[in-house]
Amino acid sequence: MERTVTVEPEAGLHARPASKLVQTANRFDAEVSIGRDDDGLVRADSMLSVSGLNVEHGESVRVVAEGPDAEAALDAVCELLTSPVEESPDGAGDDTEDAP
Amino acid sequence: MRTLDGIGSTPRSGVGAARWYRPDADLTLPDRPDPASVDPGAELARYEAARDAVREALRDARDRTAERVGEDEAAVFEAHEGFLDDPTIIDDVEAAIRDGTPAAHAVADRFDGAVAQFEGMEGRMAERADDLRDVRDRLLRALLVGAGEADATSGPDSGESLGSAAARSPPDLGALPEGTVLLAERLTPSDTAALDPDAVAGIATVEGGRTSHAAIIARSLAIPAVVGVGPNLESIATGETLLVDGEAGTVVVDPDETRRAAAVESGPEAVRERVETADGRPVEVAANVGGEAELAPATERGADGIGLFRTEFLFVDREAAPTEHEQFEAVTAALSAFPDDRVVVRTLDVGGDKPVPYLNLPDEPNPFLGRRGIRLSLGEHGDLFGTQLRALLRAAATEHGDGLAVMFPLVTRVEEVERAVATVESVAADLADEGVSHAVPELGAMVETPAAAFLADALAERLDFLSVGTNDLAQYVMAADRGNDAVADHHDPLHPAVLRALDRTTAAVGGTDAWVGMCGEMAGDPALTELLVGLGFDELSMSAVTVPDVKRRAREVDAAAARSLAADAVACETRAEVLDVLGLDQRGA
Repeated sequence: MERTVTVEPEAGLHARPASKLVQTANRFDAEVSIGRDDDGLVRADSMLSVSGLNVEHGESVRVVAEGPDAEAALDAVCELLTSPVEESPDGAGDDTEDAP
Repeated sequence: MRTLDGIGSTPRSGVGAARWYRPDADLTLPDRPDPASVDPGAELARYEAARDAVREALRDARDRTAERVGEDEAAVFEAHEGFLDDPTIIDDVEAAIRDGTPAAHAVADRFDGAVAQFEGMEGRMAERADDLRDVRDRLLRALLVGAGEADATSGPDSGESLGSAAARSPPDLGALPEGTVLLAERLTPSDTAALDPDAVAGIATVEGGRTSHAAIIARSLAIPAVVGVGPNLESIATGETLLVDGEAGTVVVDPDETRRAAAVESGPEAVRERVETADGRPVEVAANVGGEAELAPATERGADGIGLFRTEFLFVDREAAPTEHEQFEAVTAALSAFPDDRVVVRTLDVGGDKPVPYLNLPDEPNPFLGRRGIRLSLGEHGDLFGTQLRALLRAAATEHGDGLAVMFPLVTRVEEVERAVATVESVAADLADEGVSHAVPELGAMVETPAAAFLADALAERLDFLSVGTNDLAQYVMAADRGNDAVADHHDPLHPAVLRALDRTTAAVGGTDAWVGMCGEMAGDPALTELLVGLGFDELSMSAVTVPDVKRRAREVDAAAARSLAADAVACETRAEVLDVLGLDQRGA
């Protein structure tokens, strides 16, 4: 089964949303793959493959799941892709303890 | 037992197990062996063990970063774990190993291929190349360094498996096992600042001098240190037992029992009583405290109170701001720990560089010059400021509340002080209306900006005290980011421009009823105690570990001679001249 959704997280399929997607895909007894509508699909449980798609916020992606837990996996993955994740503003990294 | 000579930096001794820190460790692969000579079963097992060790290290790093910095910053380690356990990478690496490639080569080949895929792309894709390199290096370190040093390690704390130790050592200086003597070519200031003084028994470096910024930080953390040992240091293997004698400037390999015992005994014995200079001028030596867990060490080490109580710990790593009651409890706990002493509480000091999610801080291009400190308290976070002041004024009326003092961070304008004082008065009036018992504590400002130093006279007229934050002051006077090692030479409190800002501040306060203190790394360096007493500081506040050393040093100082030393230092035009006046060497500066 498959579904096509629009990627909501600001960061696209990078950084945190990408690792969350991979972790989610790994949780189910299902083969989940993901890709742009017209391109080939890649394994959703592979950080390398998912990052390589370079999907940005607002793009539409196709998600395909097969196997015993396909429906649950599809639900979980699409839920993730369509939630605008709380990525708080990039805190300039460094939080050296504030010795005055 | 053999002895290597260097330059003693922190005058203190420690014994522990050597551990090399090589951030740029040579991860060059050995020549590829004949595939027939490779044992695929063993290599597969090594690959799996290396992944286990790296995963454990990544999770540790993730948890520590989440705790100390925030969930967002910790997320990168989850991405790294994703690459570590990527099924497509694992399949390829295992296939290569079965074909007779050693694990390290198989890992390097596969990750280099993946790096090449992302390299040269822009923005986020380029970051993935960095992530992949990081994971590759962690794996290679576990596979190469772990194996290479397996025989050399017989240190007292070899409970940890070497593979995992090697996989985590370079980036995780804050999590070294207790009793580590850290060896390095050189340490950057940020490396040094990351060290846990309770875990690190000593530092020895190939390069560096007594006045390098890293050495100054080591001194302010009271970590025994010998720098500038030279290439001989390389002869020491990870795991050997070392004595670092920062007084004699020596590193003793395999010290005998007598030497060891002497080193352990020379630990920092607390000086309980308040101290004065040899000619009778009192010097208050207080501790900086950033959380309730730091109260006990501060009292144990004989601090004369708290010169900087950071309230940020109450605000970070949580979903909403602390209640008035929580803040009241935290402050009264500090007052109870020092019932007869002064406790200086700094009001909330956050800004764009210290993300606190629920505060919705603006994302600024240059947070150090943006909305932070008192600017937020008098602006968008007036509500938090009001709640904090209520808690503080109530605490001031409790049993030990007489010692409470409150100071405002990042003051640059007289109007800010006037508005802050007016806010305190209006909070007091509200509490009076409600019939809640309260008192107005001593009020002061931090001098962390050139503006505050220039206005010190006007600020002191309106307040009870000023306290100089030297880390920020040096950063702002010298226009050098204190977290950027590339400008570490500029970011040093011994530059004449910084000394003149200090001098201007203490001189301006001298004519008023206010007192003046210092709470920054500089205050904790016993090599600078005479200078600071001479400049006229009434109070020095520092990380608790250095309180005993600074107290001892202050007792030896002659205040009159110190004044003349300070005048000479302030008259200098270059840092080199300052070092000369202070009798500090200039190597590694």
